[in-house]
Parts: sequence; C-alpha cells; structure tokens
Amino acid sequence: MAPTVNPKTAPSQLKTKKADKGKTDDADADVEQYTRTKTLQKPKDQVELTDSQLKEIIAKTLTSINPQIPESEVEWSYAQMEFVPAPTIGHMVMVFRQEGGLLKKDSEEARQQMIEMGMDPAELDMESVEEEQIEEEEMIEEEEMKGEEVEGEGDVDEEKAEGEEDEKPPEAEKEEEAEEDVEGEEVVVKKPEKKKGGRPRKLTNLFNFCERAALTTTNPSRSQETQTIPPPMATFSAVVTTSFVYDSYMKDWCIQEAEREREKREKMGLPPKQVIKKTPQQLHEELQSRIFKSARILERMINQNTYVEIAKDYRYWDDPSDDYRVEEGTVLPLWKFEYNKTKKHTVCDLEWNPHYYDLFAVCFGYLDYSKPVGGGALCLFTLKNPSFPDYVCMTESAVICVDTHKKYPFMIVIGLYDGSVRVYNINISCKEPAYQSNSVENKHRGIVWEVKWAEDLTDGELNFFSVGGDGKVNNWVLMQGGLAVTTIIELHLDQAPVAGPDGTTLKVKASICCIKLHPVNPEIYLIGTEEGSIYKCSVAYSSTYLMKYEAHQMPVCQIDYNKFNTDIFISCSMDWRIKIWEDNRLEPLFVFDIGDRVGDVKWAPYSSTVFACVTSDGKIYVYDLNVNKYKPICVQAIVSKKKNKTTKLAFNYNLPIVVIGDDKGCSSVVKLSPNLRIPCKAPKKQQDLDQNTLQLMKLDKLLAVLREPSTLILPEDTAEKDDD
Amino acid sequence: MAQEVEETMKRIQSHKGIVGTIIVNSEGVPIKTTLDNTTTVQYAGLISSLADKARSVVRDLDPSNDLTFLRIRSKKHEIMVAPDKEFILIVVQNPVD
Repeated sequence: MAPTVNPKTAPSQLKTKKADKGKTDDADADVEQYTRTKTLQKPKDQVELTDSQLKEIIAKTLTSINPQIPESEVEWSYAQMEFVPAPTIGHMVMVFRQEGGLLKKDSEEARQQMIEMGMDPAELDMESVEEEQIEEEEMIEEEEMKGEEVEGEGDVDEEKAEGEEDEKPPEAEKEEEAEEDVEGEEVVVKKPEKKKGGRPRKLTNLFNFCERAALTTTNPSRSQETQTIPPPMATFSAVVTTSFVYDSYMKDWCIQEAEREREKREKMGLPPKQVIKKTPQQLHEELQSRIFKSARILERMINQNTYVEIAKDYRYWDDPSDDYRVEEGTVLPLWKFEYNKTKKHTVCDLEWNPHYYDLFAVCFGYLDYSKPVGGGALCLFTLKNPSFPDYVCMTESAVICVDTHKKYPFMIVIGLYDGSVRVYNINISCKEPAYQSNSVENKHRGIVWEVKWAEDLTDGELNFFSVGGDGKVNNWVLMQGGLAVTTIIELHLDQAPVAGPDGTTLKVKASICCIKLHPVNPEIYLIGTEEGSIYKCSVAYSSTYLMKYEAHQMPVCQIDYNKFNTDIFISCSMDWRIKIWEDNRLEPLFVFDIGDRVGDVKWAPYSSTVFACVTSDGKIYVYDLNVNKYKPICVQAIVSKKKNKTTKLAFNYNLPIVVIGDDKGCSSVVKLSPNLRIPCKAPKKQQDLDQNTLQLMKLDKLLAVLREPSTLILPEDTAEKDDD
Repeated sequence: MAQEVEETMKRIQSHKGIVGTIIVNSEGVPIKTTLDNTTTVQYAGLISSLADKARSVVRDLDPSNDLTFLRIRSKKHEIMVAPDKEFILIVVQNPVD
C-alpha cells in the first residue's frame, strides 16, 4: 500500500511548505521596518566592538572528525573486575533522517516486495493500478484462506504447502530450493511462516511509530554460602522429681554460701579459705568405715531375726502370774552375752552406759587367785547384738573394774589386775588406750579394785579416782601429755606398827576393795576395805578419814548410795551379809543374812526401797523393803549352782532389766516382773506429787520406824497448867 | 578398717540361717559374694534397681529425707539391704530355721 499512499501525501506537504515560506518573507520585511525607526536597546554588558573588529572574518572549518568525542573513555566491567576502554561512538553525527517511502517500480527492491506480496512483477507493467488492487485483494483472500488451513491442520499442511509451491514464481522457488538444500525438511515447515511474515508488511497501521526499549545494566547477582562447624549435639533425657529439684537447689545454695563466705573473708582482708581436698586414701578410709557401719547394722538386723522371740519377750512379756501372787515376783531370762575369747574369764564388773540405754560394759578378768587366766578384756555389748560385742579392748592383764564418763560416754576408764589404769576413747580406737598409767612408777602396788570418774575440774580436765590393794586412793587427771596422779589418802590400819624382819617398824596398810563417790557432794566418798570396815572420807583431808563404820567381818564387796536419798547406803560383803546404813549412824538400819557370799548389791534406779544382790551360788535376790522387810520378794537361780557363780549385777537406768555376770564369762540379761517394780501410788490428798517425792516419802516412812529419835522431846505437861 | 570389715562380713556369714552376703559397687557390679554366680548377678541387678526406686520414693515424698536401710520379708527369706552412694550391702537370711 505504501507506494500508492506516499505519492499523494508528498505533493500536499510541499504545498504547505511553500505557503510557510511566503509568510516568513512578509514578517522579515515588517521587522526591518520596525528596527529602522527605533533605536536598538543593548544590554549594558555587551562588548563594544570596533568596525574593524566586526568585519573581521572568523574562519570556520569543517572537519571529518568530531572533536567532542572524548578520547580513551573507559567503563567498569564487572565481568573482568577492571576498567576497560569503552567502544568509540564514531565521528558521524546524524543531524536529520527521513526514511523515504517511495520505490522505483523496476528497482530490485520493489521487485522483491512484489514477490513477497505474491505478484508477478512481469504482469505489473501491463495491468492498471486498479486491476492490480483487485487482484491483490483476491490474492489476500486466498492467502488468508490458506493460512487458516495451514494453521488448523498439521498433516494436511505439508501437501498444501507443496501444491502452493507449484504456483509460486520460479525465482522464489529457486530461493526456496537453495534453502532446502541446506536445511532439508525444516524448510517445509517454515514456508507458511514466511508467507505469514509477509502480511504485516502490508502496513495496516499508517501512523509511524517506533518502539524503544532500554535495558539498564543489571548487576549480576551472586550467591555465596558458608557453613560453620555444627555445634556438638547430645541426647539428654531425664525425669524431674521433687528430690532432683531439691538437690539442685541445695547445690546452688551451697555455692552461694561459699561465695558469700569468700566475699566476707575478702572484706576482712583474710586470705581465701583453703579447700582441703581429700586424698584417695582418705576417701577409701571413709568408704571402708561406711561399709563397716552398714555391716554392723545388718548384723543387728540378722540378730533381731534370730532372737525375735526374746526381743518380743523383752518388749511385751509381763509375767501374768504376778497378778495372782502378792509380794512375790520373778525374773525372766532374756539374752546371754558371751565372747569367744573370754569364755574362761570371770565377769569382774558390769556397767550400763549412761548415754546409750542398750549398751553396757563388761570387764573380763579373774577373781580366783588360785586359777589365774591369762589376759583380760573390756567388752561393750549392745542388746541389739547379743552375738558379738560392739567394742573389744584386749589387755594383757585381767580387767577388774570399769567406769564410763557421764558427759562423754565414749571415755572409759578401766583398772587392771597389775595395778595400772587405762583410759580408752572408743570413738578413736579400741586397740590402743588413749591414756595409760606408767607401768613402773605411777601405779598401784596391788589390784585396782575400783575406778570412778569424778566431776570435771574447773578448767574442764577429766579426772578419776582409783583405789587399790595398796591402801591408796589416787586421783588421776588426764593432761595433754598423759596421766597426772595425786594420792588423796593412804589408809593405815588402826593398830600399832608391826616390827619388820630387820628391826624396822611399819604401819600395816588397809587394803581398799571399793569406793563410792557421794552423788551430790563431790568431796565426800566412801571406801570399803578388806578388813570389813567402811570409811567415810573427804577429798579435803588427805591424812585422816571422817568416819569409820565397823561394817563387816569379811572384805566389803560393794557399797551403793540410794538413788533417792543420798544419806542411805547399802553394803555387802563376803560374810554373807547385806547392811543398810544411814549417814552418821554407826549402827546399820537393816541387816540381811543371805546365806552365801554376796558378790554385788545395787539399789534399783526406779524405787527407793528395792535392791538386788547376786550370790556365789548363782542366784539373784530382790528385796523390796516396802513390801517385805525380812524376806526377799524374788529369789531365782540365774546360772547352774554347781558350775557357775554369779559375780556382779547392774540395773538398767531406763528399762526394767538387770544384767548379771558370772564367772564363766557370760552376762545374762533378765527382765524384772511387774511385782518387782511397783510404782508408788500417790495418796488421794496429794495427787500432785511427783514420783521422786513419793519415793522419798516411802523410804522416810519406812525408816521412821527404825530410827531412834536423836533427842526425845517431852510433851508439855498440860495438867500443871490446869492447876494454876 | 578393711580388716574389721572383713571380720564383720565373716561373722555375718557365720550367723544362723544366713543364705549369703553380697557387696555390690556403685555400678551395680557384685564385687564380693558368697553365693553362686547366677544368683549373685540376679540379686545384684534386681536389688540395686529396687534400692534406687525405694530411695527415689523416700526422697520424693520428702526431699530432705533419705533411705538408709531396706528389708524385704518374703515367704522363704528376708533380704536385708544397706544402700549407699558407692556400694550396696545385701544379706539374705532364712529366719525360720
């Protein structure tokens, strides 16, 4: 269409151009007229030029080089990461450009165009422009039809395209054939495209437009990745319990506490506390001791199972026959305590521990001087383990007496047959004594018959008394370096000095058998001698005694203060007798003849009128003066009369049990039946009195009958007054 | 101390009706026993887990409390257990005979 339209538009454009030119000519003339009449106004700063200057010709030259072009222009290349020379623009400057729309009909380009439109260029010469147009429209219709068919069907497409080829002019055919040689079968598919491509060239849009697209340089995107080392992982699972939470808090609290302590020390300017770390050796020791403790408790459990019957008896069994018997009681044998290594020894002393109700100490030695037994032992038994002593202290010499400290129940003092004394701290060691008297100088020249802890000294040092066969009462103080001894008194018999073999005279010493400290007054003590006398002495006087009781005919075996009234004390002797004394009264209040050697006598801790004794025929006698002043309320054989002798006994402080020792190394524990431990009943008028007062009253009432009043007060004679 | 422990264990074994004694270390491995191998292993494993459980029961009821001993009475035996952080002492007794 372009060749047809353009010729028409071109002449009209020319005409308008001519008209414009005419108009401008007229305007120029007007301006000339206007400027001639009026003076020109100049700007002030205009440069004044002379005529010659104005007339000077400034030569302007045209060159084929554009001086504006910058030389050596560079631009940044991201690809090479450096500046590279930019491409030159070139020296050509386009001032105006107009695309022409006209073509020469017989030019090669027009021919080509016609072929593209599907016309035969040869026909054009003859046919008129109108015919050409009609034909063209027809051809377009045909082509459109074909194009539709081609687009619609793929298979048929090839055949029709081939048929069409026949119709095409030979030149086009030639070109296509040449293409076919190169591309082969592909050409067949391209043909309809080519024809289609011809259609937009018909320039349906008459307006000239151009499409401009600009593409800015895009920054190349780049992704960079790094991978760190993965953090260590561990699987953890736990159940949180109350105890776990508690433990964690306690741990934290300990740390805080330590921190506070540290800060405190820092504030005070002290060096930080040194944390003493335990060596593996110590840790091992600790572990061993824990195992030992556990094993001991297990042993007790086993014993509990083994002796379950006895344990039940001990706890619950009260002899029901007591209800029917008045003024009589029995003792129930419970456990027997023995130690393999001391089966031949005699139990020389027994003592319940003042702190642990179930623990008692037993001394193993011998009393029959014709049959000495080698060695000795101090054993601490507990009721919870009858099979084996809890603590064993073996000694070379026979152990005769024992005493346990009231305040420190682990401090135990023993007196030996060889005259020495030893103090054991069983918390530390049972093998080695904590203190030991000197084997040559500081010792008794005779058997140590009794040891007793005394009140602590004012500066807290422990001290004890000991009495021996040499007639001395010694006081031993536990010093840092060892035992310090002071002789309190040296007893001599009240008889004239005896002439010695070489003409010298010597005073015969009294041999002390037992000592008892006054429970209230620390200065007063009683001692019993082999001669049968009882001396009341004071620590204050070392040369003489306060009082002498002519008590027995044979050695005094035991003295015991009443637990409620300290003025009353009891003594027993080998002369078969037990006597009850009152302080400062030379005559005994009671005398009991047992009928055999009395080894030991003790007041009961629960009653002011009950005491028990053991005899060498293996029997225990229990008296209750309140019930019967003449006969024992219980006599019972503990061991076989023929084989064994009972030697010592001890009341438990809390429980109604008594431990009895015999001469075959056996300690028997017996339980007292209810009749032997009747508590005091308060009279109706004095219900508020406590047991202690009642017991005192009971004893006083009993003694009042026996005591002779020291001074008799005559009742007032009322008759004389009446006479006046 | 080790000698005393040894003596005590020997004494326990000599008691009447004792079936056996086992000492188990903290890892549950029996380190000393008087029973045969299989029984020991069984006792050690079962009792240590029971002791742990018993301890956690006591501790959870009252966190300031702790388990000290454990006695299991069965028809035939009594199993006495002394649990500790680092060991468990087990004694099996037949208390009837």
